[in-house]
Amino acid sequence: VTDQSSAGEALYRKEPKIYPRQVKGRFARLRVIAVWVLLGLYYLLPWIEIGGRQSLLFDLPARKFYIFGLTFWPQDFVYLALLLITAGLSLFFVTALAGRLWCGFACPQTVWTEVFIWIERWVEGDRQRRMKLDKAPWNLQKVLRKSAKQGLWILFAAWTGFTFVGFFTPIRELGGNILSFSLGPWESFWTIFYGFATYGNAGFLREQVCKYMCPYARFQSAMFDKDTLIISYDEERGEPRGGRRKTADLKELKLGECINCTLCVQVCPTGIDIRDGLQYDCIACAACIDVCDQVMDKMEYPRGLVRYTTEHAIKHKEGHVVRPRLVVYGLLLLIIISGTLWSMTHRVPLRADLIRDRNALYRELPGGLVENVYTLKITNMDDSPHRYDMTVLNNDAVEVDLSRPLELQAEEVAGISLRLRIPRSAGQGVQNLLIEFQAADDPSIRREIQAKALLPMEPGN
Amino acid sequence: VSNEPTALPGRWSRRKRDIGTVVWISFLSACAGTFAIFAVMDPEALNDAWVLPWEMGRRLAYSLGFLFLFVVSLIASGLTVFMIRTGPGRGHAAGEGRRPPPEIRSPEEDNPDLDLGDWK
Repeated sequence: VTDQSSAGEALYRKEPKIYPRQVKGRFARLRVIAVWVLLGLYYLLPWIEIGGRQSLLFDLPARKFYIFGLTFWPQDFVYLALLLITAGLSLFFVTALAGRLWCGFACPQTVWTEVFIWIERWVEGDRQRRMKLDKAPWNLQKVLRKSAKQGLWILFAAWTGFTFVGFFTPIRELGGNILSFSLGPWESFWTIFYGFATYGNAGFLREQVCKYMCPYARFQSAMFDKDTLIISYDEERGEPRGGRRKTADLKELKLGECINCTLCVQVCPTGIDIRDGLQYDCIACAACIDVCDQVMDKMEYPRGLVRYTTEHAIKHKEGHVVRPRLVVYGLLLLIIISGTLWSMTHRVPLRADLIRDRNALYRELPGGLVENVYTLKITNMDDSPHRYDMTVLNNDAVEVDLSRPLELQAEEVAGISLRLRIPRSAGQGVQNLLIEFQAADDPSIRREIQAKALLPMEPGN
Repeated sequence: VSNEPTALPGRWSRRKRDIGTVVWISFLSACAGTFAIFAVMDPEALNDAWVLPWEMGRRLAYSLGFLFLFVVSLIASGLTVFMIRTGPGRGHAAGEGRRPPPEIRSPEEDNPDLDLGDWK
């Protein structure tokens, strides 16, 4: 028990280290499931192959992203932007509906911290033992336990860093390189960097990241309304709090149903007292709900003294699940997601750009012809080779001369020199051309581009 | 902080100072960044590798580069000020002044029917 008056006088007080007490229950089980699913995806996905390629590979040197059998090119940058917008909107939507579900169950900070705490608990024992061990003088036992914990943490963090780099370099290759000690400098750097970040964040910073560093927590008031799911203590039912026997008569003792066991504080990973009301330090992990339900069972009181509820519900006001902001977020999400899916399934795996030769406007040839020179940048974004036909759609007189046939390997980018010859009689000045490229074996792979050709102006015009 | 006079003649309010600092420091950083980037990189040289289908020319590339760095710096320093200003004050948790950490006691202290063994 802290002496509050004397503590208040100190200019600076170090925050006490938090030893969260282990908790069992519905939400703790949900978090364990979330940890296994999310970390399972993280650690296993790079090892799974789809269509002969790593299921998730961001090949930065080649500027290509392979995502579940789809290939994304730099030109598909717009999908990345859409993905980010979708993620942001989903966060707003879920936050408005169900509060900080993300923080308590899905945030990497929470998920990795959970695993680091499992390791800590496994090596150093439960809360009481950990506190005792930290206070104890350094002896063989303490050195052994502490170094075992650090060793396991570092091993786990290193594996995490390795997996992270495995999303950018084929992971099987990377594993081979590590085993043969031939890891490149950048791969080594990022493995160590990400491993170190995991170790620091999950081993040491923990709840401090949520309290001091995370911007999401500070913006929650903008996303919350009075119908948002929050974890709250039922003050009306709980107060006045106080110890009692199970059989005690509450009316006689003038007590509410909170027995002031402070277990809700002891299980809290951020060290707050949920009974003080909604605080932005609360990451909505629901550990206090689990432990309070257990206490209520033990005391044979109804569960839910601390529970998921809404501000309206706890004040006995009418609540609304469907609110304007939810409808707006939901509609936006629906539009963006369906638009993205439509456009992704209708992607044409062919790109063509015509770049005019910068050195000459045009060249006059014998026989009344005028030549314009271009570089054709053509990209076969498909995973099979194609031959393409090129046609000028709006001008039959144009003669096409390519420096090589339009045959491209899978995922080939080619820069081909292109000459267009137009009879002088076809016109004067700028000619707008509409050019079509079409795969010979698949008419659906077709793209039209516009290009400008120049003809000499007749004198006097 | 609380007993700082709100209006002194010729002195900016805290919010004004925050905004002024954020904008000016971001501007300076963006200038330095633009200098550094375009000293070693010619945007014209990128024309062939450009993802965009049009060529933007040096002037526009310099301007866009500067604006981009300015916006990024504004976001970074703006968020930093916001995080520091809205963060917990000295001591524990949010709100007015310092709050002591919540009191913790042994669960079975006043509740003889609780068994600590259940919460090991």
